[in-house]
Parts: sequence; structure tokens; C-alpha cells
Amino acid sequence: MVPVEQLHLSHVLQTVSALESIVLRSFGPEGGQVLFTRDTGQVMLSRNGKRILTALHLDHPLARMVVRCVWKHSTITGDGSKTFVLLLASLLRIIHATATKEPHMFQPHNSTEAAEAATARHLADRLLEFALTELDELIVLNVLPHGFCVSLDNFTAETQHNLSCQTLLVSFFRTRLGYAYCDFFRNLFCELLSHWKVKDDRPSFSIQFLNNSFPALHTQVSGVPVSCSRLIEGQVIHRDFATPCPQVRKQPLKAVVFNGYLQPKLLATQDVLELRCGDKVTEDRGIVHFSSWTERSVESIIATLQSFGVSVLLCALKQSSAVLAAATQAGMCLVECVSDEEISLFTQLSGVTPISDCWRIHPEHIATLTFCKPLLLGAHRNVHLDFHDCEERLKVKPCSLVICAPSEAQADQHACAFQDAFRMLLTALEPVCKTQTALEETIPSKKCTSLHADNISDETACRVHPHQKCVTETGCVISAGGTFEFLLHHALHQYGHSCSVSVNTSAVVPVSQLLAKALLSVPRQIYSHNLKHFLQAQTRVMALIPKQPHALCANFIHTEGPLGDGKLSSCKKGNISLKFLDLGLESVSCKYQLVLAVLQCLTNLLQTNMVLRTHTVLHTKSHDSLNAHLESSEDEDED
Amino acid sequence: MYIASYLSSLMQMSRLVKKSPSVCTDLLLNSSDVCNKLRLMKELLKSSYGPTARLKQVHNNIGGAVVTTSTSSVLLQAISSSHPIISLIKGSILNHVSRFSDCGLFASVFCLSLIEEAGRCDLSKNVIIRVNKHILSLCTAHLQQEDCGCKVQLDFCSSQSLITLARSVISSKPTCVLSEPESTHISRLAVQAFLLTVPCNIPDKVRLGRTVIIPIEGHSVQKSAVFPGLLLDTPENISLGNLCSPLRMVLFSASLAGDLGELGDGRIEVHQGVDTDSQILGQLLELGKQVLKDEVKLFVCQKVIHPVLQHYLRCNAIIVIERLGISLMEPLIQLTGAQPVATLHTTIPREAYGEVHNVSVRQFGSKTKLHLHPAGKTTTCTTILCHRNETMLNELKLVCQKAEHVLRLTLREPCALLGGGCTETHLAAYVRHQSKNNVSESSPVLGCSQTEYLVAAEAFCRSLESVATSLEHDDGASLIDLTHAHHWTLPSDVTEEHLEDATALCGCGVVQSCQNKKWSYLNTEYAEFSPAPLLTASPLQPTVLDSFTAKVNALEVAVETANLVLDVRYVIQDVN
Repeated sequence: MVPVEQLHLSHVLQTVSALESIVLRSFGPEGGQVLFTRDTGQVMLSRNGKRILTALHLDHPLARMVVRCVWKHSTITGDGSKTFVLLLASLLRIIHATATKEPHMFQPHNSTEAAEAATARHLADRLLEFALTELDELIVLNVLPHGFCVSLDNFTAETQHNLSCQTLLVSFFRTRLGYAYCDFFRNLFCELLSHWKVKDDRPSFSIQFLNNSFPALHTQVSGVPVSCSRLIEGQVIHRDFATPCPQVRKQPLKAVVFNGYLQPKLLATQDVLELRCGDKVTEDRGIVHFSSWTERSVESIIATLQSFGVSVLLCALKQSSAVLAAATQAGMCLVECVSDEEISLFTQLSGVTPISDCWRIHPEHIATLTFCKPLLLGAHRNVHLDFHDCEERLKVKPCSLVICAPSEAQADQHACAFQDAFRMLLTALEPVCKTQTALEETIPSKKCTSLHADNISDETACRVHPHQKCVTETGCVISAGGTFEFLLHHALHQYGHSCSVSVNTSAVVPVSQLLAKALLSVPRQIYSHNLKHFLQAQTRVMALIPKQPHALCANFIHTEGPLGDGKLSSCKKGNISLKFLDLGLESVSCKYQLVLAVLQCLTNLLQTNMVLRTHTVLHTKSHDSLNAHLESSEDEDED
Repeated sequence: MYIASYLSSLMQMSRLVKKSPSVCTDLLLNSSDVCNKLRLMKELLKSSYGPTARLKQVHNNIGGAVVTTSTSSVLLQAISSSHPIISLIKGSILNHVSRFSDCGLFASVFCLSLIEEAGRCDLSKNVIIRVNKHILSLCTAHLQQEDCGCKVQLDFCSSQSLITLARSVISSKPTCVLSEPESTHISRLAVQAFLLTVPCNIPDKVRLGRTVIIPIEGHSVQKSAVFPGLLLDTPENISLGNLCSPLRMVLFSASLAGDLGELGDGRIEVHQGVDTDSQILGQLLELGKQVLKDEVKLFVCQKVIHPVLQHYLRCNAIIVIERLGISLMEPLIQLTGAQPVATLHTTIPREAYGEVHNVSVRQFGSKTKLHLHPAGKTTTCTTILCHRNETMLNELKLVCQKAEHVLRLTLREPCALLGGGCTETHLAAYVRHQSKNNVSESSPVLGCSQTEYLVAAEAFCRSLESVATSLEHDDGASLIDLTHAHHWTLPSDVTEEHLEDATALCGCGVVQSCQNKKWSYLNTEYAEFSPAPLLTASPLQPTVLDSFTAKVNALEVAVETANLVLDVRYVIQDVN
């Protein structure tokens, strides 16, 4: 029989709390690094919750499910993984408290545990339903007026907006890399963006491009201080010249890209070459004939290239020594084993297509470079090149990023932070507005699911993007340090009051109150080192909220729809932005998606009530156990 | 059949091993185990620092060769700790050493001292990190200044300061066991080799040449020498006939052993009676004929040459050198201007031939070397290093490579720092003075109180001074003078009263002791002061110099690594 493990609410809470305690070490302004080793012995560093959680290699199915949800969420938004766990733990704690206090409010059950579980499940469902229907309006009404909008155009413009965009980035880098380097990397990031900004085009296009081609665009150098990180013009190909270094010569240079071998492979894997004993006079020196033919074909290819004036060859594959020698003699420089990403970046920037058939070389295969020279970065020699008329053709100034750090682990951490910053910006400034899809998936189906649950969370986590358009349309930001949580807490609190007054369902706990309470745990952790600061921050934010009677507030919600974009962007940005800029900024839409994703994950977690541990044979020699396994796996789980 | 498939399915399954969960450790800098490990590592590296260092013997558990060394790159590679903190520090320092070759021990001792001092002072780690970073920027800004008291400009008109720089590198490694004249000789050779690699006519881009080091065991160090050109291994009974200079040479990068070229992955079926070997050999001999016709006198191949071809060429008075190896290809190409040939079936173009001025045979003990003299100006040279036994020779080779690298770094920044611990004490005094003076401006910027700032700055200074102290290994005391802030050592048998007589010169040899100097022991409290600049007309030249570029980088790497370690809150170890 398959061992069955009942899952109680307390188990779930215990598991998530364990995750929380790990993540808390690197949460907030006083948080630090987490050092981890790979199974290869490689040392890595991170303050990124997603990376920390995946490095744990957890065994517990529930914990793995949570990690999976976090992973999904932060892969999309690039941010918020630590807050995710924090908020989830806090929500679970509150639901647990509520459920144990009044376990029979839902329906009679035979055991207290079952009753608790049912209550908890019910609460979670209502929370999600509430969030999907009401949360966006609440945010629009109560949070957005205190934030302000940034758009990508402002990155390069010298306006006050620019300041806020940069602050957004500083806050992001601070959570990822600590105080020491956040300003430095912010500047580097903005510089990179401004170089790659396509003139007269949608700005998010260039961020998307940078996000996709980042692996080919950056070089990690270890052994030098972080402050040596810089931008360099053009593209860096992370290979050395295979032929002796090119001399200084006339510019511009012509370059081609090869996908295959220059020296033809005479015999494919299945081919058989038969050498017969023939007439010595007529037969043309036997086997030697074949190898001389391949050499001659190399020479003719090189001659063709020379007639086009080509002097740089980039090859995806390793070439034979005959090719290298022929290229050297023709005065061409050749680079072998160029990675796919770099070739694709090169072709995108130069606008040429790679040559796959060496016998057909056309002018559209030939790119023009301003220079192509060796570049020593750290221990490795690279090829450094720049494109000739890029500014006219693509309207960008291509440049590559060099990330320096004393150790590989740190350089890697900085590179990851850059990659995530692109994702965060994409979410914050031009988020995906998905239409309402398959919400029924989240409505609880009374089915117990065995927790090989990866696929479940896959599906649901993807559908986090909700149905409304209003919050996500603008690149709205708000000052960091818990402002979002304080404001939303207040709004939810008010809403809860108005509901309980107007609708007379006193038996039901207002779920908005639960969420409000849970939200406060985030700023509480931010200021965990000093309670006084927490209270100060709360009063400061509360002072911003205009005093309104509860009833009026509730009416307001029902009568008016979401505010237009124009109103939001303009209102109040002056005074608040200046007051809270020192705290940093964070994106409202990231936060909104975070809350939804957490609630989604919560519902998933609480729907599960049992773990079935099936057995796969590992290292077992006994035939019987294999059979037993086959039998047992046929037993379907049932509730 | 059934059993076979079952077994194979089992074998496939056995590759699936369940991943075990990672091991987590919390707040590790508070654990005494980690602190002990770090302290041990510090003691180990500290005792290997400087010219009077205690040597370390490294040997593995399976009876490999014993290595005696005090070089950081060898020592750190030998330390294999499973603890990720240790491997993090190790990785950073090794990366620094691989870029700059020098100051690896300085960086590691300084980094570990910073971590230890941070543990001692009861401050939040974030405050320490911020203050460390601030003071680091103070230090680097000070070092970049023109009038920095511990920096000397290098004078390229005389080789004296370059020799001093090389000599400081060479004499800092006692494993080489060099006497005074020997280390002078080796330093001279290092500078000579360096100067040979700098091209004379400068095009728009300077490209330094290569020095090939050939170690020869069993001879006195004084026999070491530098030759322009290349020295290659040669077969024993080589006879040089009447050779008229210049000699034409050809260089092959493809194998001439008679193997088949790259035809592809397919099969080749040879029927009886077909002699492919002789067909290929015939092709090779064709090549030999062409070379002979083109009056080539020197025939070099990176790989193996068929014995018949070798014989044929030798009979025609051509010098044949095979198995050159990939590492010597580039220097040889630079030296001769030849283009490597890899095609066997086409005629060799004229441009592919290279030239050497002359060849001669040199005998070094049992080894015979063929000396290729360059045809024109060249930047390729060969250093023959001789020493009495293998251990010393290995270390000497390492040290010479290091010296070459350090000398090359001077081309980037033509200055050096005072050695002998004087830079460290000077910087410490400077930082103390600066931090006292600007405490009211700096502390609000860094978000800490004035006291916190001063305590953290004091920890930084003490770490710097502890590096200077680690130069002394014979129970002597380390002192700092209270005018110039230079470093002095006091032998253990001398008391403070006789200081003027006992230590005539400071660590770097620039300051002379005199009656009215005041000293203070390092690691004791002294009133902060601004280090006085040296008189420009000082008659004394520094006797110990450190590489500027390497040391500044080491300083930054040490502080950044220490900050990183201090910032670690949690360790997750994958134990799979």
C-alpha cells in the first residue's frame, strides 16, 4: 500500500514558516547574502529569494510546491520572491488562527482537524475571489493616488521623472546587491539602456531585446574590483583568434559568419570509401587524391572570400588546421567555436545571414565592421568588434557590458541582478495585460490531488494575470519601505468595515480584514531591527490618507469606476516623491501581481489534504520490489 | 534476452539518484568552528609572508611530489576546504593572483584580518561594510594622488629602480635560496629579459614580446642567462655545416607523420594490394623536394615528422626539428615571420617561409639547445634559469614569471609603492588621521553614529598594521615612527633604548633613524598624526619596492572580499 500522510493546516504552516525563516536572512535593508555551493563544489552568492529557495533542493512536497510558485512568479516579474514567502506565511498564520478559533463556522465535521481544514480552504477561496474582483479597484482608488508614473522615455530625458526611474532601479539593486554597489550599478544600467535605446521606437522593445540577448552582451571578469565594471562599444565575442592576430590594416573590415565546416567532409558517417587495386598508371595516386581535393576546395573558398575583400571569419564550429593555415596565408583572421547566442546577436546587429553553403557566397553575407581586435578581459583574450553603420541602420549604439568582481560568484550574482532588472522593468513599465482566462481553474474542485504537484502549480501560476486592465496599464511606482502595504492595509480595513456595516453577514469573517492584517507583516519585517521606525513609517504614510467617513468611502467605490490614467499620473507626484525618495521606489503592478500570486498559491496549498508517497525503484536489485511498485502505482488516489 | 533488457533497464534506473536536500547553516561568522578555520588559514598564510617567511611543504596523501613553497598561488591551491567561506576567499585571491601575479599573500592576510577585526568589534555588520568601503575609497584616492607619501615614480632612464622592483619580488620568496649576489643576478636578468620584449620601433599599438623560460637543474644560479631569440630542443648528433645567413625556414602546423587528412567520419575499406602508406609517403617526399628546391635550411614541425622524410631532409643538409609543441609556435612565428603551413598537397607559397639570421648549438650541462638568432629586431627572448635542485628551480621559475609580470605592469602605471610594510603603516596613519578629522561629515552619509564610524575605521587600520607586523617572523617587534609613519622592525634581543643603533633603516630603506625620532609599537595606541612627506632631496633610494598596480588591486580585492564574507548570513550547501 502506498503510505498516506494526512496534511493538516499546521503542517502547511510549519513548512512555509521554515521557508520564511530562511528567506528572512536576506530580506529588507538589513538583510545579507546567502552563500551556497553547487553539487560541483562551485560557490555561489545570492540575495535573490528565487535562487536561494531553489538551491535548497527540498524534499517535502508542499515546500516544493511553494518554491515552484515562487519560481514561476519571480521568473515573470524578476522580483518579489522573498515578499512572496513572507506574505504567504503571514496569511497562513492568520488563517490558522482564525480556523482554530472558530472551526465550526462553516459546516459540522467529524474531527476538529477536518473542520479546521475546511474553514481554511473556504477562507482561502474567498480571499482569492475577493482579490480577483475587488483588489484592483481598491488599489486604483487608495494606492495609486499616492504613487506616480514613470515611463521608459524618461530614462534618458533630464527630467524629474528621470530621478524617480533611477530611484526605482536603485531600490532594486539594493535588494539584490546591498548598499555598497547599488548606485554604481544603477548608473551602469542607465548608461546601457541609453546606448541601446532605439530612437523613435517603443522603449520596451529595447529592454526586451536586452533581456533576450543579455548572455551574449555581457562578459564576467573575476579578480578585479567591482568598480572596474564598464561598458565597451561594439560586441565582444568570447573566443580568441584562432589564427595569429590580425595586423593593423585598412578599415572598414569585411566579415562573414560560417555555420559549418570550411573544409568539406568528404565522407559522411555512413559512407564507405573503397580503395581498389587498380591500374597504377591511370589511377591518380589513390587516397592522396581525396585529401588533396579537400585542400584545394578550401583554397578556392578562401580565394572567393578574398575576392570579396573579406578579412574576418567567424565560425560556429572548430575548423581543420588546413583551413587555419590557408586563412593565415590569406591574411584573414578566423575565430572558431563562436556560441550560438553570439552569432545570433552578430547577425541581428550586422543584418547579414550566416553562410551555410560555402560554395554560395553572396554580398548579403558580408558584414562591415569598423574594427576587429583582440581584447584582454581578465584571464581570457576575446575578440572585440564594432559594426560600421549601426547608428544609421538600427538607430542604436551597440555596446557590451563588462561585469567585474573579485570572485566568480560575485560576478555571477551581479549579472543575474542585471538580468532580473530587465524583467522587473518590463513588468513595472509595460506589463502584460492578459484577458480573463480560465478563472474556473482556481475555483476549488473538491478533488484531492496527489502531490506530485509540479504541473498543477505550473498551470495556475501562469494565470495570475488577472482580468482587469486598470492597474497594470501604467508604469506606476510608489515609494518603497512598506508604503504600498500600509496604504492597502488601510484601504482593506476601511472596506471591511463598510462591508460589515452595510451587508449584515456578521457570521462571516470579512476576508479583507485577514488580508489587511497579513499585509502588515511585510513592513514589520522591513523594520524588524527597530520597532520605532515601523511606527514612524506607519504614521508617516497614514498622514497622507485624507480623513473620510467610512460610509462615504464605500459609496465612492460603488458609484465611481476606476480612475482614468491621466488623473493618476499627475496627482501629487511632487510632494510625495520628494518626501520618500530616500526610501526608494517600487512598482505597484509588481506588488499587485505579487498579492494575486500569493493568494493563488495559498488556495493551491490548502486544497491539498494528503500526500501519497509512491515508490520508484532506485538501486534495488530485487525483482519483487519492482513488481510491487508496478502494482502499487496502479492504485489511484481517491478522496 | 529478457534478462539482458531487464538488466539494462536497471542500469538506467540506477543513474537516477535521489537528490538529497541541502544543508543549511545560519549566521556562520558567530560559530567558533568557522572562526577557527579562518584563524588557522590566516596563521598559515601570515607565516609565509615576506623574505624571512617560514616555508610550507605541500604533499598529497597518495605519495605525490613534495612541493616546498611560500607562494600564495601554490599554497592556496593546496588548501582544499569544504567550507564555502574558505573557498570564496580562496577563489577571490587566486583570481587576483592570476591577473596580477603579485601581492596575493598581502591580499589574503589583509582580508582575513579585516574579517577577524570585524568579529572583535561589536558593531552591526552593515555598518562595518559601509565604513570599510568608504575607507577603501579614501585609500585608493590617496594612493592615486601625485604627492602620496608612499609612492615613488619609476625612472625608466635608469634600470636601477626596475631592478629594485624585480629584486623585491625575487627576494620575497625564500624558497629560492638565493644568496645576495645571486638574487641581484637574477633581478638583472629579469629586467634584461623584460627590456628585450619591449619593441623598439613603436607602431600605433604596442605589442610586447614573449620570454620563454627554460629551467635547467644542477647548475649554479650564476650560470643563468638571457638570450635574444629562441632556444629549441634538438636531436643529439646535429651537425651544422656551412650555413650562409640568413637562413630560410619553413614551419608546419599539420602532422607530417603520414596519417590521413580529415576526410570525414565515414569508413575507408582498403583492398588487398593497395599501399596507401607508400602513397602518402610519396606525397610527403614530394613536399621535401619542393622545400629542398626552395633552399630551405631549417625545417620545423609542431607535430611528428615521418622518419623517412626526416632522413631525406637531413641527408640534404637541412636542420630538422619536430614535436615543437603548441606553446612555442607563437614565439617562433613572431621571431621568424613564417606562416604555419598545414596543406600537404599544394605548393608552399613564398610568403610562408620565414627567416632566421643564424643558428648555433649551445650546451647547458647535458642539454643541447639550438639557438635561433633573430634576423632583425625581435621581441622574443629566452631565459635559461639554473639552480641546484628541482624544488628551488621550480620556485625560481615561478618567481621569475612573477617578476616579469610585475615589470610589465609598470608600463601601465609607471610608479611603485614603498615595500617592507611602510606602505601599510603609512596608509594606516593616514586613514586614522583622516577619519578623525572628517568624522562629522562622513558618519551621517554612511548612516552610522560617530563612535561607530571611529571604531570601524580603527579596525580597518589595525588590520592594515597587522599585515606589516606579519613580515616579522623572528620574535622581533614591529614599530612605527611618529613622523613619517614608516615601518621598523626591532630584533628580539634589542630593547627600545638602543633602537637608533639597532635599526638604521626603515622597512623600505628610505628613512634613516636619528636621535629625535619617536617610535611606537604597532598595535598599541598612539596619538593620530598626519604622516610627514619625505624630503625630496633624500639621499637614500628605496631598497624594497612593491608593484603599484598589483597592490592597489589587492587592497580593493581584499576589502571587497571581506565585505562579502561579512555580508553572508546563511550558507546552503548542496551535498549531492
